[in-house]
Amino acid sequence: MAIACDRVRDLAPGFVLGALDPAEMAAVREHLRSCSRRHPELHELGGVVSYIGGSLSPVEPPARLKAAVLAAAQADLRARPGRKTVSDEVAPAVPEAVPVLAVVEGGRSAGIMSLAPARASRIRRAGVWVTRIAAAVAIVGLVGYAVVLQGDLTRAHTALDNTAKVYNSIGQPGAHSVVLTPPTGQKGAGDAVLLPSGHVYLNLHSLDATTGDEVYMVWLRADGGAVTKGGWFTVDDLGEGYLEMDNVPPSDSLWLMVCEEPNSGVGEPTGPVIVTGTIWVYPPPTTAPTF
Amino acid sequence: MRQVAAGEIGGLENLYDRYHAAAYALALRITTESALAEDVVQDSFLGLWRNAGRYAEEKGSVKGWLLAIVRHRAIDSMRRRRNGTTIADETDEPLPIALTLPDVWPEVSGRLDAEQVRCALQALPEAQREAIEMAYFDGLTQREIAAKTGAPLGTVKSRMRLGLVSLRRGLMDIAGGSDGVGPADGASGAATLPWARPEGEG
Repeated sequence: MAIACDRVRDLAPGFVLGALDPAEMAAVREHLRSCSRRHPELHELGGVVSYIGGSLSPVEPPARLKAAVLAAAQADLRARPGRKTVSDEVAPAVPEAVPVLAVVEGGRSAGIMSLAPARASRIRRAGVWVTRIAAAVAIVGLVGYAVVLQGDLTRAHTALDNTAKVYNSIGQPGAHSVVLTPPTGQKGAGDAVLLPSGHVYLNLHSLDATTGDEVYMVWLRADGGAVTKGGWFTVDDLGEGYLEMDNVPPSDSLWLMVCEEPNSGVGEPTGPVIVTGTIWVYPPPTTAPTF
Repeated sequence: MRQVAAGEIGGLENLYDRYHAAAYALALRITTESALAEDVVQDSFLGLWRNAGRYAEEKGSVKGWLLAIVRHRAIDSMRRRRNGTTIADETDEPLPIALTLPDVWPEVSGRLDAEQVRCALQALPEAQREAIEMAYFDGLTQREIAAKTGAPLGTVKSRMRLGLVSLRRGLMDIAGGSDGVGPADGASGAATLPWARPEGEG
């Protein structure tokens, strides 16, 4: 529907308020795209409209909203194509988490992941990012919710910083990561990142708070070898767990299992498995290994 | 905004600290639900974050831009809920209308606070204020406002025009500026603006 300048002037108030019928809105836009004349009425009335929203008394939103906004922006930043890292190019897709309930001897199968078509690879990488972003949003959402309940911004900031550390480390050259998942029906989830230096970041959420001597123990197993202690952490009522480990020996694969243990002195896994996952430094086998 | 456009989280945090309460107030006024308002505000800041490179300073203040995004998304969410329709698809109309329109008085905007704008709105005749608020806060079209209020469509259009013109003059008076179109005649805000002629009032 072509319209003249006079008609645009008539429609200006409704246009700047977005209150015209869709066809009229489209007609004005179309006119403005092709008209070389000035339309001061649109500028002047549009300027007025821009103040109406500011007439309301400010209302303070819940504190969790800021954390959610910043986390979403960080996740968006990481998902931008220009932010693709070396590790994204060489790292294999994160395999499905292995639902291990007990540590038993066994090796991974000898198969090597076949070279998938490029398109499938892109889709997998996109899936990994989606998972990471979803995990980040979920983590921060839970963090924020706990903040409101506790009124403890300091702890929330710490948790958010820890989350940021993990996601920042994912982007470092040579970093490999895994989404840690719980056994079916259990809660708790998170991420772990292995750097070439042997430094590991681990961040979990949705955990039960520890009491007394209870700890969450991180058990490691490199290349199907012996199970070793990686470290332990306690959890408060925010439900967030964070641990950094150093000097993890280089390996093709690093399996991680987090168990709830009665104390930090246990020498082998005894408590319930909370989450597991395997960081693959070299391509994983085509089938999930059994530990 | 340059920081935000450069992908610096700190820049976004600064903007959030400055404008979150105004953004949330607007989202809450439109959606009337705190959970939905939070979603709208988060979505709006993310939209600002993603589109910061398209922000043009000469086209208005950052606050005006943000509030336009908030309003657009809040109304969109309410329309989805009401009848499944949406405002124009973002790929078709990437920016809310107000984003393409410059502030009229950049030098004035800094001197106006919420209370003064509220006073200017309250000074409008009730029917004019109602028409503007139903369009701005409820996202209703002129036709929908006419149906809801029982007023003829031409009357709604006229009220909207006169209301905006009067509001503009009121804001100018409060801020001590000039609209550059001559002194107010005190009878009708439209009379001093050649393009602002009333239509069908009554």
